[in-house]
Parts: sequence; C-alpha cells; structure tokens
Amino acid sequence: MTGLQTYREVDGKHGPKLSSVPAGWAEPVGLKQVEVEHESSLKLPEAGLRSQSKQGSKARTNTVNLILLVALLLSIVFSTCLGAVRIPAAEVIHAFLHPSKAGEAGEIIFALRLPRVLAAALVGAALSATGVLFQGLFRNPLADPFVLGTSGGAALGGAIGIFLIPTLSFAGFSATAVLAFAGSVLTMILVWYLARTSGAFAMETLLLAGFAIGTMLNSATVVFELREEASSSGLRVLAAWLHGQLGIPAWSQLGLIAPLTIVAIALALPVAGRLNTLALGEEYASQLGVHVGQVRVATVILGSLLTAAAVSLGGLIGFVGLLVPHFLRILIGPNHVRLLPAAALGGATFLILADTLARTAFAPTEIPVGVFTAFLGGPAFLYLLHRRSRESGL
Amino acid sequence: MSSTILEFQNVSFSRGSRLLLDRLSFSIETQEMVALLGPNGVGKTTMLKLASRLLQPATGSVLLQGKPLANWSRQHLPRCVALVPQELELPFNFRVEEIVAQGRVPYLPLFGAGTTQDEEAIEDAMEAVDIVRLRDRPYSQLSGGERQRVKIAIGLAQQSKLMLLDEPTQHLDVGRQIELIALLRRLNQRGITIIAAVHDLNLVAENFSSVIMLTPEPAWIAGSVPEVMQPEVLARAFCVGQSDLAQYCVSPPAGGRAQA
Repeated sequence: MTGLQTYREVDGKHGPKLSSVPAGWAEPVGLKQVEVEHESSLKLPEAGLRSQSKQGSKARTNTVNLILLVALLLSIVFSTCLGAVRIPAAEVIHAFLHPSKAGEAGEIIFALRLPRVLAAALVGAALSATGVLFQGLFRNPLADPFVLGTSGGAALGGAIGIFLIPTLSFAGFSATAVLAFAGSVLTMILVWYLARTSGAFAMETLLLAGFAIGTMLNSATVVFELREEASSSGLRVLAAWLHGQLGIPAWSQLGLIAPLTIVAIALALPVAGRLNTLALGEEYASQLGVHVGQVRVATVILGSLLTAAAVSLGGLIGFVGLLVPHFLRILIGPNHVRLLPAAALGGATFLILADTLARTAFAPTEIPVGVFTAFLGGPAFLYLLHRRSRESGL
Repeated sequence: MSSTILEFQNVSFSRGSRLLLDRLSFSIETQEMVALLGPNGVGKTTMLKLASRLLQPATGSVLLQGKPLANWSRQHLPRCVALVPQELELPFNFRVEEIVAQGRVPYLPLFGAGTTQDEEAIEDAMEAVDIVRLRDRPYSQLSGGERQRVKIAIGLAQQSKLMLLDEPTQHLDVGRQIELIALLRRLNQRGITIIAAVHDLNLVAENFSSVIMLTPEPAWIAGSVPEVMQPEVLARAFCVGQSDLAQYCVSPPAGGRAQA
C-alpha cells in the first residue's frame, strides 16, 4: 500500500505541469464532450447513408443474379447452336419453344446437344455451390471438391459401382450413384480428421490432406483400368471421368440429377446462413446458439450429394468450385446466402461456355472440359494461395 | 433492487492433468462492473468460457439468473450472455454491418430473414459503440480499436444482459484503452453487467466496482476493488515484488484513495 501511495504523491507533484496541456486534453470530461458532439453532428447524414447502402448491396445482388440468369439462358442457346453442324440461333429457340415441330435440327438439338449443355449446367452449378459450402465450412476460400479430394472419392466410389456391382440398385438409385455419394462423404470425413488440429484447420494440412487423399483415390480408380478390356464401355466411362469429360447423358439421368441438384441447393440456403456465423469461428458460432455439429453434418451431406451428382455426369472437373465463388465474392461480397444462388447460376454458365470451347476449339477432336478448367483454375488457385500466405506473413 | 445474474458454485476445471480452477465460487449482482484479474495462463479465458457454456465444469455448477447453464436452451442463452472473445479472425471480407448482424442469430428462425426489430437492434448496437460510419467497411481494413468495437457490437446486438469480455484492451494504445473502458462504463450504466479480463491495474482501480482475481496456486479472491486490490495480494498473484508493482501503478487502487 505504501509503495502505491508514494507513487500517487509523485503523480501529484507532477500535477501543475499537466495544466500546461491544452484544455480538453487532460480532462476526461473534455474527451466525452468531444465524442458527444461528434456523434450528434454525424447522425443525420448517417441515417440517409443507412438505407442507401443496404438497398445498394441488395440491389447489386439482384442485378448480378439477373445478369447471370440472362447469361445462362444465352449460353444455353449459344452452346446448342455450335457443333459439327452449326444451327442458327433462331432455329434453336424455335425448337426450344415448339419441340414437336423441330424437324431435322430437333434431332441434333434434343438427342445430342441439349443433354450435354444441361449436363454442363448442372455440373457447373453443383460444383460451384459445393465450393461455397465447403469454403464456408472450412473457413477457407481455397476449399473446393477437387482440391479437397472429395471428387476423387466420388469417382472411386462410382468406379467401384460400375465395375463390381453394375446391376445393383438402392431405392431407384444405381449402385454407382450411391457409392459415388458414399465415396464423397467418406473422403470428407477422412480429410476432416486429418486436417483438424486443435479445433481449427491449418491451411497447409487441409490442402495437403486433400491433395494426398485425392491422388490416392484417383490412383485407385486407375487400377480399374487394368482389369478391363480396352474396348469395354466401363473403361470409356472411367477414362472420361478421370479427365473430366462431359458425355451426352440420357434424359432419364438428367431427370434424376436435375431435381437432386436443385433441391440440394435449395436445402443448402438455410445452411448458408449459418455458415456466415461460422465464419466468426466455431466457438463464436456455437456461443451465438448455432448447432455447429448439425451445420457440419448438413454441409457435408449436401456438398457430397452435389459432388456425387457432378462427378456422375462429368467426372473430375477441377477448380470450378474455387473460381466461380471467388469471382462472385468480388462482385457481391462474401455473404453465403447471396453467394450460393449466384454461384449456382454463374457456375452453370461458366461450365457451359468452357465445355463449348472444349468441344469446338479443336474440332473434331474434343478436349475434356476438366483440362480447360484446370488451365483457368490452377493459376487462380495459386494466386489465392500466394495472396493468403502473403497476408498471413508466411 | 439488485439480483444475482451470474453465480459460480464450487466450479473446478482441469486442462489435462493440470488443475486450472479450484472450487471457484462467487456471485455477481446485476449491473456490476467486474474485472477479471490474474497472470497469463491462469484460466481467465477458461472462466469466461465456463460462464458462457463453451466449456463445462468438471465439478460444481454455473447459474445464470439462478438457473443452471445446462438448463438454458441454445437460443435463449446467447440472448442473456454474450462472450466477446480476444481474437476474431474472418476468412472472408465481411462488412462491419454483416458481422454485427450475426448477433441476431439467436433470434432468427432457421428459415426466414430478420425483422425490423432485428435491424433496429443492429443499428442500436452500432450506434452505441460509434461504428455506424464504418458499416460498409470490410473487417480487414479496421484498426485494433475498431475491431474491438465491432465485437462488442455483436454482443449488444444479442441484447444480452451480461457481457463477458476477454482482454478487450489488448493491443490497444493508451487512448483507445481509455475510450474502450469509457465505452464499457456507458454500457454498464445502460444496465449491462460487465465482466472483463483486463491486465491494466490502473484501469481496473479507476473504473470497476469489483474484482475476481485468479492466482496460479490455483486459488481465487473475489470482492470489491479495495478488498481485492491490496498490494500484497497483487504482488503474490502476479509473482512480483511489491515495490516493482508499485512502480507500475501510476495511480493507487481505490483502496488507497479511500484512505487518503
């Protein structure tokens, strides 16, 4: 006590010196007055600013969504026009509106082009939406079904289905589809436990675990190539999967995968709201009443459903789930609820255009669309990685 | 009319084989302003997490408004108690307003957006900590003091009666520390009970009504500022000589002042 008092005396002796300080500096009362004035003078303009910015960001999201929707429709028409035989846009639109009166062009459109265009749209939408979900879950903008290895898991599961139990089916879904889903979920769980250190995900472990598991799974899938004769249809499917090549799906397959994708994205919307809270950290989110475990399970299941849907149509198409959400985050911000629908629309458009390029650029040779997305997405991934490591001072 | 808002009854907690909190017992009245003192690693953060149910005590129980924490529902607990953590790192560049809006999550249904009531709570929270003009700024562009205010605004948007702050003055310059404590006092006057882990003894002596001091043995002392902030108690808790400690304190604890 004595020591402390001595100090107070010293402080008292210095008292007069303080009086030379400009008025309003030394006195805490003065500080408070300044603050109050500051607040009141700002109040009016802020009230105006409030509604403006709020409506602004919402209007912006709506504008972006509208543009994306128009772009999607245009890209569907555009992509359907292009191919070995060029069909005029007017004829394509006419065929869309009156499918029964389409004639010869209708054959090409409905048997060959449109299924593939829709497949590209679904794959792009599913992968981009999964990207948004996984990025939110892992709190990492680099998470993507391909990078995390879950696409590889789905492909391996699907390959097992195709080659070992091709005739089996569960509740209307082929063994291939069910195993692709299971492969994705199991990979996710594996990556989760490998990458999780002390309640958080270190960037390096997450990426390395995803990479290692993805590579292992892809290699395991390649093993199936050895079992098969070169001409078998299973092998062609497998090769296409590994390269990320879209085929021409049957309408029945589209009829199954389209509603699945759309329902999964719709169910993901409330989850996306919780991912915004999860961005604050798992502890913070749980402190705010979020059931983190449920959000985690829901995200993994929905993300795996979407991944399995995408893989069953197009195989291993990388970086779509990374590129599209990243680009849209720049446009409309990181809010997952707004990002998810925009990413689905944007991803669909992006992959339609990429696939159009893949099948027409070197016609008659087709290039797997996965090769194109890797060319675009690889550098984007490296850029993000570089920027992040620079920010964290590594 | 004061009533007990938070009560620890013989709460013990161990990390691994190390006993961190040993039969910690205290009760805090509504609208008290309590400082949580103690050296690094003594369990201050743990105590705050126990009070907000992020951790469960090994033995003993924590009561919030007389009701055991375990009996509070997931939605109602954050409406009553808000924890403002030491660090908040965001993986994406959310705007200030979007971050503050997370404080309304305990009020939102799973489906459906916020109501005007939610928006008002967000506005009030931002106004109370004076960050309205920062509403559209990305979090990454904020200074340390501004980030603290954003975190406190989340707690205010929760409209909780009890706010737990884990070292809110950390990394702040002296001016921002004084501003922040002044802010906490204003919130306290508005009826919010404050428990804050703070290291600056001067700030504690000048601004807080009572102190919970955790010491490494582990032991604890709880009481009013003059009761707890005795030089010999402080010196023992922080493992430092009394004369060294005296040099650190520019002004004496309220106990000294009361005698003078």
